[in-house]
Amino acid sequence: MPSVGPVVDRGRQDEPAWKPLFDAYVPVREWLSRLKPDVAIVVYNDHGADFSFDKYPTFALGASDQYAIGDEGFGKRALPEVPGDAEFSIHLCEKLIEAEFDLTVCQELAVEHGFLVPMNLCFPHTSSGWPVKCVPLEVNVIQHPLPTARRCYRLGQALRAAVESYPGEKRVVVLGTGGMSHQLQGRRFGFMNEKFDQWFMDRLESDPESLAALSHHRIMEEAGAEAVELIMWLTMRGALSPGARRVHRHYYAPMTTGMGLISFED
Amino acid sequence: MCEALSSAHERDAFKRDEEAFLSRFGLSDAEKNLVRSRDFKGLIEAGLNIYFMLKLGSATGNSLYRMGAQMRGESYEEFLSTRNIQGAV
Repeated sequence: MPSVGPVVDRGRQDEPAWKPLFDAYVPVREWLSRLKPDVAIVVYNDHGADFSFDKYPTFALGASDQYAIGDEGFGKRALPEVPGDAEFSIHLCEKLIEAEFDLTVCQELAVEHGFLVPMNLCFPHTSSGWPVKCVPLEVNVIQHPLPTARRCYRLGQALRAAVESYPGEKRVVVLGTGGMSHQLQGRRFGFMNEKFDQWFMDRLESDPESLAALSHHRIMEEAGAEAVELIMWLTMRGALSPGARRVHRHYYAPMTTGMGLISFED
Repeated sequence: MCEALSSAHERDAFKRDEEAFLSRFGLSDAEKNLVRSRDFKGLIEAGLNIYFMLKLGSATGNSLYRMGAQMRGESYEEFLSTRNIQGAV
């Protein structure tokens, strides 16, 4: 949600309307600081900050040591540039393309709220920068035709194989991002469906393969047009083994978007 | 047109002279009228992507929730009264 960015930048996290969201991430951050990942692969979508509809890739992977902060129309947030791991990214590119995921490889990429808000929540920056190196993995979920849910799930499985084949030692976390139920356009603006969102998280825990069969149409009808972002969660889940242990789970839907949090350890 | 509004320089150009700005993108008169009248419901119906409309919202001082209220055919206050936690704006 873009509105979370200014809440962080203005220090409003303790306001009653926002506290439930930020409090839910306190144990997640403690957990992550114990795990000490070397790299965070962030599966996110651009909202027309660095990609435009003149050329909009279905899947794109960052392959840089540094990612700039993008301007998606609200001005650039005053955040440090995000450190990357070009060498690791290039390994992932080679393995994913070998596995027939024909990614767009980006040696320059500016990131925006789709990437930065989850980072604000999971890996807050300090005066010395961000605490983890990142690999942005961008998915088109905003302009049809979109990749299928199953394709996103399979991408996650290929991502796991790519990570496992890296010759060095890396501790890797994968962030799947995107709002749960929400519709931001037309008469149905503001539509949410908590029942669907809870069902989706239940299935993500117990039977993720079944979610890969969801059509865009069904997600959009039951959870709102923009809820189709949920297919990015399947890339994260595909990168984990089916029996991965769920660690955290939370849900908050104050305004127009179901904000779900679920974490797994493998 | 909306894509251009991802740059501070272009947002300034839009605010300085909206007509001159609109003339640069091959828009039809009907499309220009939708922008001029801040008809967000009409822009979506004409095919504008919501995330690109947000950039127009930013340049014209219309938040997502204000655009949303208009698309629902409600006042901003009426829309807010339908939300679970109204302070989360």
